[in-house]
Amino acid sequence: MTFDTVIIGGGLSGLISGIRLLQNKKKCAIISSGQSALHFFSGSFDLLNFLPNGEKVAYPQKEINKLIKNFPEHPYTKLGENEFNKLTEQAEQLLKQVGLHVQGSSEKNHFRITPLGELKPTWLTMPQFAITHNDSLLPWKKVCLINIKGFLDFHPEFVSEAFKAKGVKTEIQFFDLPELDRIRKNPSEFRSTNLSIILDKESSREKMIEDFSVFSKNSDALILPDCWGHKNSSLLSDVMKEIGKPIFLLPTFPPSLIGVYTQQFLKDCFTKLGGTYMLGDSVTEANIKNNRVTEVFTKNHGNIPFKADNVILSSGSFFSQGIIADMNKVYEPVFSLDTDFLEKRSDWYNRNLFENQKYQQFGVKTDNNFRGLKNGKPIDNLFVTGAILNGFNPIKEGCGAGVSILTALYVANQILIKEQTYESAGQ
Amino acid sequence: MKTTTTASTHTEPWDVIIIGGGATGAGTARDCARRGLKTLMLERHDIATGATGRNHGLLHSGSRYAVTDRESAEECIKENMILKKIARHCVEKTDGLFLTLPEDDLSYQSKFIESCQAAGINVQAIDPKEALLREPSANPTIIGAVLVPDGTVDPFRLTLSNILDAKEHGAEILTYHEVLGLIKEQNRIIGVKIYDHVNKEEKDIYGNIIVNASGIWGQKIAEYADLKIKMFPAKGSLLIFGHRVNQMVLNRCRKPADADILVPGDTICLIGTTSTHVPFEEVDQMYVNPEEVDILLREGEKLSPSLVNTRILRGYAGVRPLVASDDDPSGRNVSRGIVLLDHEIRDGLEGFITITGGKLMTYRLMAEWATDLICKKLNNTTRCTTAEVNLPGSRLTKEEVNKKIISVPSSIRESAIYRMGDKAENLSCNTDIENSLVCECEEVSAGEVEYAFKELHVNNLIDLRRRTRVGMGTCQGELCACRAAGLMNQYSNLPANKCKESLSVFLNERWKGIRPIAWGDTLRESEFTSWIYEGVCGLNLSEEQLKNTKK
Repeated sequence: MTFDTVIIGGGLSGLISGIRLLQNKKKCAIISSGQSALHFFSGSFDLLNFLPNGEKVAYPQKEINKLIKNFPEHPYTKLGENEFNKLTEQAEQLLKQVGLHVQGSSEKNHFRITPLGELKPTWLTMPQFAITHNDSLLPWKKVCLINIKGFLDFHPEFVSEAFKAKGVKTEIQFFDLPELDRIRKNPSEFRSTNLSIILDKESSREKMIEDFSVFSKNSDALILPDCWGHKNSSLLSDVMKEIGKPIFLLPTFPPSLIGVYTQQFLKDCFTKLGGTYMLGDSVTEANIKNNRVTEVFTKNHGNIPFKADNVILSSGSFFSQGIIADMNKVYEPVFSLDTDFLEKRSDWYNRNLFENQKYQQFGVKTDNNFRGLKNGKPIDNLFVTGAILNGFNPIKEGCGAGVSILTALYVANQILIKEQTYESAGQ
Repeated sequence: MKTTTTASTHTEPWDVIIIGGGATGAGTARDCARRGLKTLMLERHDIATGATGRNHGLLHSGSRYAVTDRESAEECIKENMILKKIARHCVEKTDGLFLTLPEDDLSYQSKFIESCQAAGINVQAIDPKEALLREPSANPTIIGAVLVPDGTVDPFRLTLSNILDAKEHGAEILTYHEVLGLIKEQNRIIGVKIYDHVNKEEKDIYGNIIVNASGIWGQKIAEYADLKIKMFPAKGSLLIFGHRVNQMVLNRCRKPADADILVPGDTICLIGTTSTHVPFEEVDQMYVNPEEVDILLREGEKLSPSLVNTRILRGYAGVRPLVASDDDPSGRNVSRGIVLLDHEIRDGLEGFITITGGKLMTYRLMAEWATDLICKKLNNTTRCTTAEVNLPGSRLTKEEVNKKIISVPSSIRESAIYRMGDKAENLSCNTDIENSLVCECEEVSAGEVEYAFKELHVNNLIDLRRRTRVGMGTCQGELCACRAAGLMNQYSNLPANKCKESLSVFLNERWKGIRPIAWGDTLRESEFTSWIYEGVCGLNLSEEQLKNTKK
């Protein structure tokens, strides 16, 4: 099987580079083992919320030079200021082109509201999700928080308490449908994915309008757990029209419906553009000759190799097994690329779970063009993007999605430029 | 029935005030209450947080001590048989094997069997091939095997049952009440000065007899009375594996050494222990270090080779409350025997006794000795019944409980009966909502969580884990912790911000045990936990909590 580019990993990073390449008429395949970090997506993409030294970032475009000056290992430093700004705009454009109408921009962070009611800075937030532009002020005087009766993965009490601290009055109400009793009978089935199937049925519309108009009587807005509107996109807007009050969503505990939905949406874009998405397959080994990846073998395709001019490795961090830790080391399992980690295992962690955990910065080493290094030398046609990269802390810095998207676009652009150069040289 | 304020409004002195809520303290409270004494038990944290909750959970047959400590071995086998009867819902009769590996001295086996028999322990050498049939996970290269009546015991359940029985007989239990000092009048201790961590207040409580049952911390309690009890803190580290590799307890048939016992329990198994002397000042801060992990894995693999491919869930360490008797640097040769000190005779100080030493296995006997002495001092002649009467939870058979809660879905029913014994009947009128699962690894329902918050002295999510196993399974609380925090807000009287705080403390406490073994799949789960809680939810430690963790 021959492609222009083979992408290993079907999460956010892999899909973005794939879409970008397909938009430019390149033949692409994605090999995806299945679940990705998108499955516990918060509904927002972060770009840069804090510098590695903890300093707050409010205006990512303006403040990126502070990071670039002081933190040479960071993927954003490898991009440089101009490229960083260009790519963030390109990313916003690409999402719009494919039909994801997100809120926010890279000029200034806005704030998303977490399942516990906390405010966290972010870059782009999915439509319908609750946001605010001021970290000490919420845009409502009184809201009605609604949970589904018996749903344990969303706790409006926590949101309420956090809202009250910011001077917003709250009221908690519970929504129920007789049909939900059926899944209540099975103790482990009352989760967001199952709920949404029932809640999104046309038959629930009437009860929603009826209950929500009562619930929202004294409130400026309604806030619901993210269990609605994925199978029936007009449901929420119709209900809003009927009751005359805005409805916002908050993410729930996993599975994140917005994550499952976003993954599916981007995957559909990729395949509609002609991409080949190999779901449930994983790379077993690869051949490298003359400093180029020549063949990639997968579990499902046995001895039939994938061949491509370029290979992009976007296989994620520890969770997705893009890198693996054993008792003594951190390694990259497909190409045995050079990895960046601390020698002593006891140095990998901090005693306090919520402090900086150094292991989260471990990853694959690359050159400044994000080509993977092996024995210190870059492999010509192997690019590395996203969470597998070293040198950044996605949680502490709030830059996980940004690194995934920007490095993906950068690498896709590099591949396109390289091909153009070949083509013009050949002419 | 959360902690109440009865103690502060109580004007009459208590007959007995017991300091310490481990197995010994709880057992003593049970025994005293059953003999009609007005009893108060104080615990500075939660029940079973000291050595009681930080050991193997091995229901010793006594074999392990037979060669070196006959007296302990005899006590063990007697108590083993009693617990199998009175605490059957806390106990699994798994039996055990003492294995001789090619590198071990086979001649030790005959000495071992002889000593066991002399101590009254019914053991039997069996052919290694038969041993492997009985326990296929054992090392196939064994050259000798002895069958022993070892079992397993859940120390949390055991302590709780003793407390429930004590309460049924009128005892008062106050957790999160820390003793700050003893109140002395001439040559008599007449009460305790305590700090109530829940209501954040100090108070004095008076009693006729004060019992020091605080394990390793007993040294400090005695110092409040200007007495010296020299404890010998011996740290022991253990590792928990993610599934139950073995069905029988596996021991090495040699002189006690590091990592020579592999104990199954619930859905897991665990290997232990190491033994190192630690300074008394450090007993509140026990961390498993990488060297201990290496030893436990290296030696554990010799008992059961499949451990190499089994995921480790966490490591933990406890401190044995040994009473110092010589300068043995490892603590292995210090007697495991029971130490009962009547400070009136020993130090001329009336109204104060110390019960320490011993083992989890002999907690009931320790309680009996202590209560006998208390009764003698109070001229109470009621005899001890704790060996005859079954504990709450063990009064009905599984079949009888099953009938009572047949309406509960079977998966929840079975695990509830397994954990709660006849107390599972409290779940009989559960609704569908109460039957929904909080913890999928351990099949804990919302109803069980509700019962724990309302009836079992649960103040936070860590206490809840000890009562229900929420967060003890493979995911170590990844998803169930937040569900439980939401229910905590519903079932306890605590405000949402306290429940949120409890959630971050719970996760940090889980991390303490995960950190020593965080590689492979464990590190994947940890990364996931951080993404969810810190990333998606924006959870963090409060300033106060941060200060505490840095101490």
